[in-house]
Amino acid sequence: MSMTGVGPAPTAPGDLDAGAPPAIRQGLMRALWRSRNGRVGLVLVVIVVAAAIAAAFGATPYNPQYQNPAALLGAPSWSHPFGTDQFGRDILSLVLDGIGVSLEIACLAVLIAGVIGTIAGVIAGFLGRWTSAVIMRVTDMLFAIPAILLALIVVAALGAGWLNSAIAIGVGYIPIFVRVVRGPVLTLRESGYVLAGRVLGFSRRRLLFRHILPNVAGILAVQVSLALAWSVLAEASLSFLGLGPPPPTASLGEMVSQSGSLAAIAWWTLAFPSVAIIVAVIGFNLLGDGLRDAIDPRTRKR
Amino acid sequence: MSVIIFLVLRLLPGNAITSALGVSAGLLNHAQIVALDHYYGIGEPLAQQYVSWLHAILTGNLGVSLSSRTSVASLVGSALPVTFELAIVAMLLGLLIGVLFGVFGALRPGRAIDVSGQGVSVIGLGVPSFIIGTGIVTLLAAVFQYFPSSEPFASLTSDPWLNFQQIIFPAFTLSLGIGAAIMRTARASVLEVTGQNYVRTARGKGLSRHSVTWKHIFLNAFIPVLTMSGIQLGYLLGGTVIVEQIFVLPGLGRLLVTSINGRDFPVVQSVTLIFATGFVVVNMLVDVLYAVIDPRIRSR
Repeated sequence: MSMTGVGPAPTAPGDLDAGAPPAIRQGLMRALWRSRNGRVGLVLVVIVVAAAIAAAFGATPYNPQYQNPAALLGAPSWSHPFGTDQFGRDILSLVLDGIGVSLEIACLAVLIAGVIGTIAGVIAGFLGRWTSAVIMRVTDMLFAIPAILLALIVVAALGAGWLNSAIAIGVGYIPIFVRVVRGPVLTLRESGYVLAGRVLGFSRRRLLFRHILPNVAGILAVQVSLALAWSVLAEASLSFLGLGPPPPTASLGEMVSQSGSLAAIAWWTLAFPSVAIIVAVIGFNLLGDGLRDAIDPRTRKR
Repeated sequence: MSVIIFLVLRLLPGNAITSALGVSAGLLNHAQIVALDHYYGIGEPLAQQYVSWLHAILTGNLGVSLSSRTSVASLVGSALPVTFELAIVAMLLGLLIGVLFGVFGALRPGRAIDVSGQGVSVIGLGVPSFIIGTGIVTLLAAVFQYFPSSEPFASLTSDPWLNFQQIIFPAFTLSLGIGAAIMRTARASVLEVTGQNYVRTARGKGLSRHSVTWKHIFLNAFIPVLTMSGIQLGYLLGGTVIVEQIFVLPGLGRLLVTSINGRDFPVVQSVTLIFATGFVVVNMLVDVLYAVIDPRIRSR
């Protein structure tokens, strides 16, 4: 978010359109790579996304659901690097598949929360006092219930399932997007170039989409990354509680829950799904921190 | 004047809860109508149901559990103390871990206590509580052949020692996440306060190190820590749901999951209401504590 005037003085009215913040113009990736958090986060996220893509194209060493009765609870070996579970399924394949499912649900959840939350936040920040008040009161109500509980309630109402998990997790995160977007929109509304745009008679839509939204894009990117981390965690928690997608779908949280009774004799049933969840959660969190550092130079020192 | 503003602001969250349950009651009641139709053949309008439900709640009647046929009030009554105890012990442990590592780490940056604190914070923030919990249960069972939760839950009054054994591990599991967040806040806050002019002045006029640390740095650095603790309470309440499941504690969280699985909506509604109320009440208490700690807030 950059509110101070940057760049050369505008020469034509068209140039008044405030473009992307400076960090993005200079190359976001380079700025991201400069912070240690961003570097580690990016690497972890790339690993996780690569695993998910591999699983999506069926590029797992075995069919995740294939049960080999000759290899029940096998320790990690060359043929099964992550070992096998109590049904003789290959844990590496299950973990890859689980990451894929987990990311799909997380992305959909963040899409739901991001789109609804951003629209509501922009409206609450940009439009009149009355609309704003209504939106913020609803947000406050949602905030009165911890997000994971909200997710549990939505699952309770809709029933367990792939899509319902995504909706439940998304709903829990909407209020955060609303708050994060509304704050800067409130300041941007009064900023010099938006006022200038108003004077020039730009339409409300042009002001919103070409002046305000690009300047919120930075914090939005940070929040999307943090939301993905939270969503992966929430999805795993829901399926850990048995409220995730039903069994034929691979799920990391369910694997952790299943391994609870086995881990004492077969540590790999607990360790590998756990590591997958942790890598994804830490990866998206660090990426979010790194993005924030890259976009807002004021926090870079820390 | 300030009293009136205070009262109005405090009343808002109360409205928020009732309306929030309006939202979830809307969601729940849809399924509940089906259940009610099934059980009794009634289909009242949502608003009317909500109003009568609210009326019942306010008069102390939480309804009857659909699955166990006992009153929700009695189910909640037996589960609430367990979660209450768990939450309090976890919060205290979290504050202990967070403040200890955060404050002493910031006073000696880069030294052993700071580095170990950072390590704990990475684990606490990055590793989900259900993995820590499952890990602890596995470790206790495998290495020490010890699982205190295999015995029926003992209340604090009936068997304090067994109760302690049963509460301490889940509380520790929860406290890592809270502790990590508090630690980060405490560390940043202490570092910031240490650089302030009045701390330099206090040192300059020859006050003892003890006095500077505790009266000037610690008290001033504590407000953000308190705010963070209030925020973490939401995490804590959500966390009890998962941790009670792992450690088989008969608390509200376990009741919630059981009743969600059993589609027992009167119980789900009541437990959610209690969680939301608890969350709002504690955040109000945090606001009151601000005034206790910081006289500047009191005078306004």
